[in-house]
Amino acid sequence: MAHGKKSDEKIVFVGDSRVKKSKGFIVPPDYTAYPGKSEAFIPNFLLKEWMVGVVFLVGFLVLTIAEPAPLGFPANPSATIIPMPDWYFLFLYEYLKLPYASGDYVVLGVIGVTGVAFGALLLAPFLDTGKERRFYRRPITSSLMILAIMAIVYLTNGAWTHYSNEMEATGQKAEHIQREEEAREKRAKGLPTTNAIATKEVAIVEKEDVAMESYKKAGCITCHAADMKGAAGPSLRGIGEVHDKDAILTIIKEGYGDGKMPPMYDNAIAAGLTDKDVDHLAEWLAKQKAE
Amino acid sequence: MFKNIYNWIDERLDVTPIWRDVADHEVPEHVNPAHHFSAFVYCFGGLTFFITVIQILSGMFLTMYYVPDIINAYNSVEYLQTQVAFGQIVRGMHHWGASLVIVMMFLHTMRVFFTGSYKAPREMNWVVGMLIFFVMLGLGLTGYLLPWDNKAYFATKVTMEIANSVPYLGPVLKELMQGGTIVGAQTLTRFFALHVFFLPAVLLTLLVGHFIMIRRQGISGPL
Amino acid sequence: MENNRNDHHEEEHQPNSRKEMSRRQFLTYTLGGATAYMAAGAILPMVRFAVDPILHKKTDGAYVKVAEISKITNEPQEFTFELKQQDGWYPSTANLIAWIRKDETGNIYALSPICKHLGCTVGWNNDKNFPDEYHCPCHGARYTNVGKNLAVSPKPLDTYKIKIENGWVYLGSTEPNTEVK
Repeated sequence: MAHGKKSDEKIVFVGDSRVKKSKGFIVPPDYTAYPGKSEAFIPNFLLKEWMVGVVFLVGFLVLTIAEPAPLGFPANPSATIIPMPDWYFLFLYEYLKLPYASGDYVVLGVIGVTGVAFGALLLAPFLDTGKERRFYRRPITSSLMILAIMAIVYLTNGAWTHYSNEMEATGQKAEHIQREEEAREKRAKGLPTTNAIATKEVAIVEKEDVAMESYKKAGCITCHAADMKGAAGPSLRGIGEVHDKDAILTIIKEGYGDGKMPPMYDNAIAAGLTDKDVDHLAEWLAKQKAE
Repeated sequence: MFKNIYNWIDERLDVTPIWRDVADHEVPEHVNPAHHFSAFVYCFGGLTFFITVIQILSGMFLTMYYVPDIINAYNSVEYLQTQVAFGQIVRGMHHWGASLVIVMMFLHTMRVFFTGSYKAPREMNWVVGMLIFFVMLGLGLTGYLLPWDNKAYFATKVTMEIANSVPYLGPVLKELMQGGTIVGAQTLTRFFALHVFFLPAVLLTLLVGHFIMIRRQGISGPL
Repeated sequence: MENNRNDHHEEEHQPNSRKEMSRRQFLTYTLGGATAYMAAGAILPMVRFAVDPILHKKTDGAYVKVAEISKITNEPQEFTFELKQQDGWYPSTANLIAWIRKDETGNIYALSPICKHLGCTVGWNNDKNFPDEYHCPCHGARYTNVGKNLAVSPKPLDTYKIKIENGWVYLGSTEPNTEVK
C-alpha cells in the first residue's frame, strides 16, 4: 500500500469534471423548522423503535408456537369443500357476490368499481391536492376512506358469517382442523399420521415363489429385467391386471405384439423347465397385481 | 483488524458518508414515542419492514424443503411441518407473518393517509407504497396456492374465475395465469416462480425506492 | 439532546481513568443487544430447521432378505436386492448389488461393488488379464476376493452389514471393510 496506516491524508479521487461534485450520499433534510428536540437515528431513536420490535417479536414467536400454520388435505379436484380465500381477500370475495357486481354486472363489479376504488387509492395525492393535512379539515377525503374501511369490515364480516353458517349447515369442519384431529387419533393408535400422496410402485407379489426362479431361467429377464421393471420389454409388475393366466400362457407360447416378443415357450423348455413350470409361471404372473 | 479492513475499503470507496447518513440522520420529536406516546403510529412502517425481513428469511429456509410439484408439494409441506424440527415454527412464521404484513401495512397506510403525509412533495412515495401494497397482496395470493391442499386449490380456482370475468382479456388472462386450461401442475410452478422470484424482485426494487425517497424528503412535519 | 449530538461527551470521557460509560456508548451497547436478540429470535428456529437432516438419528436401516445360504459358494456371486428407503417425503426403492461369498472357514460376507476410487461399479472376474479379482472398468482399480485394494483405489471395498436367519442371508447398510487385515 502506498499509504501507511499513519497517513491521515484522505485520498481524493479526481472524477469526471463534467459531473458536479455532490454534497454526500443524500443531503439530510433540515428539521430546524420542526418544533421540539430531534435526536440521532442510531443509537437513540432506533433503540426506542426496537424496544417495540422486541415486544412485537416475542408476541409473534408465541403466536407461531401456539398456533401451527393450517394445512388441509392434498388438493383433490372432486372434493366438496367451500372455497375460502385468505382473510384479507374476503371483502373482495364477498363484494363480487353482490347483485351489482355479479351476473349481468360482473364487468362493472370486476373492473368498474374495484378499478375506480383501487385507482383512487393509488392516485390519492393527485386527487386530494389541498395543502391541508389534518384529516378533520379534509372531510371529503377522510369520509371516503372511513366509508371504504367500514365497507371492508362489513363485507369481511359478511363473508365470514356466510362461510361459518354454510360450514355449520353442511356439517363440515375446516380441513386443517379435521386433519389435526385425525392425526391426533392416529397418533394415539400408533398409526402413521401422514396424508402424503403415495407414488405407486407395484411390488412383486410372492417374490419367493419358485416361479421367480423359472422366470430367471426361462430367459424372461433378458427383456423384462431381473426386477421385472422391464428393459427392452415392458414392466411385468402388475401384469396380472392386464392379462389373465390363459392370456399370459398364450403370449409365452405365441409371442406378443406382432413379433415384438417372440414365442418363448420352446426356449423355456430348452432351459430345463417343464410344461408344469411354465404353467405355474403363467399362473404366478397372473397374480402380479397392484394391491 | 476489522478497523483496518474497514479503513482499507473506505480509503478506496469512501463508504463512510453512506452509512453515517443512515446512522446519524436526525429524527424529529413529533415521531418519537418517548416524547409523545401517540407517536407510536409512526412505528408501523418499521414493523412492516421487520416482518418483511422475517418473511424473506423464513421463505428462503422453507424452499430448502419445498418442491413446487403437484404430487410432492403437499408431501413436502406436510413433511417439513410434521417431521422437521422447528418446521412448524418456520412455516408458522411465514404463514402468520403474511397476515401480519398485511395488517401492519394497512395500519401504516392509514397513518400516512390520515396525517396527510402523502401530500406534496411526497406524492411519488405514496404511489410506490401503494404498489408495494399490491405486490404484497400478489405475494399473498400466489403463496396461498403453494401447499397444494384443498383450500389452496379451490381458492385459486375462484381467483381464476374472477380473472376470467374480465371483459375481452379474461379467458387469455386466466389461461396465462393458469399456464394451461386447468388449475394444475403448470399453475403451481407459475405461482411458485411469481411468489419466489418475480414478485420479491419487484418488492425489493420498490422498497429501495421507498426508503431512498424517505431519506431524500425527510419525514413529514408535525400537524 | 443537542442537535450536534454527543461527540463532545465521548471526548470528555475518553481520558477518564475510571472508564465510565458514556450515554452514547450505553445506548449503542443496548441497541446492539436488542439487535442480537431480535436476530437470534428470528433466525435460530430457521437455522435449527435447516440443519435438521444432520441431527436426525441415523437408524440402523432395515435388513433385506437377499440369498439362501445353500447357494453361496467360495466363488463370489452377484445378488441384486431392493432396499426401500424414505428420502424425506419421498419413498423410493434403491436397487442394490452385493457380491456374496463365503471364505474357507465358512464365514459369509457381502461386498458392495461401489469402487472406492471414484464410485464406478466393479465386477468379479471381468478382466481376462486379472483372473479372480474384482476389476473396475473406469480406471482399472482391482480388488481381491475379500475386497482388498490392489491397484488405483485407496481403500478396500465396503461390506454390507450381514445377518443370517433361517438359512437366509439378510443385508443391511454398508460399512468399511473389516475382512481385510
